[in-house]
Amino acid sequence: MTEAGHVAAVAGRTYPPVTFEIDADRAAEFARAIGADPAAGVPPTFAAVYSLGITAPQLFGDADAAVDFTRLLHAEQEFVWVRHPRAGEKVTSRGHVASDVSRRGMRFVTFETETVDGAGEPLCHSTALFVIRS
Amino acid sequence: MTQRAVTFTKEQIAGYAEASGDINLIHLDDDYARKAGLPGVIAHGMLQMGILATVAAEAAGGGERLRRLHCRFAGMVVPGDTVTFSAEPAGPGKLDLRATNQRGEPVLTKSTAEYS
Repeated sequence: MTEAGHVAAVAGRTYPPVTFEIDADRAAEFARAIGADPAAGVPPTFAAVYSLGITAPQLFGDADAAVDFTRLLHAEQEFVWVRHPRAGEKVTSRGHVASDVSRRGMRFVTFETETVDGAGEPLCHSTALFVIRS
Repeated sequence: MTQRAVTFTKEQIAGYAEASGDINLIHLDDDYARKAGLPGVIAHGMLQMGILATVAAEAAGGGERLRRLHCRFAGMVVPGDTVTFSAEPAGPGKLDLRATNQRGEPVLTKSTAEYS
């Protein structure tokens, strides 16, 4: 049953994989933006782009998920790396809603992203906790 | 202990929006941010985490050695705030990370890193 204010839980949903090339210039611009040395290679938290950043828009754009972007808070973030990608590599990321629960007027969405390299070997696992105020 | 103090600016936040592709207007447009119930534009949590990661990378002996990074975005950071990011050894291959503003309030909590 759907009614005003009702939240459609989308736990378990997996979105189509997204492929992304780690562009050297873009990684260097990202490094400068966080005050890192661009010569030190792709910054670890460039995962905010190649892992979380290219998959989270699929969740935000999912009409069934009904995420109100203006009430969204990024509450927690974790990255676990098996290996850090190098500039020029093509990576593929797949987003998955691990949990989606509402309590006390707040909705908590745990969004996980698995990023693999061109050979399908794991690179990075991102776990984001989003809180949506009602 | 490894640490770095950063005074946030609107230009820096806009630079991160451009570089990361996270162009949510709460980071770019004061009027929009106020309508969303904020005091004005706020820094991206991921910008704070990015800076924290540079401190963790230094403490770990290089960013490529980081294996895990976790943080909770606990407080808002607005332009003009000075945040001190620090990393302290917490056992073999582990770091305790902190980010505290000029009033001594934590802005990132439960922050840890592991490295190899």
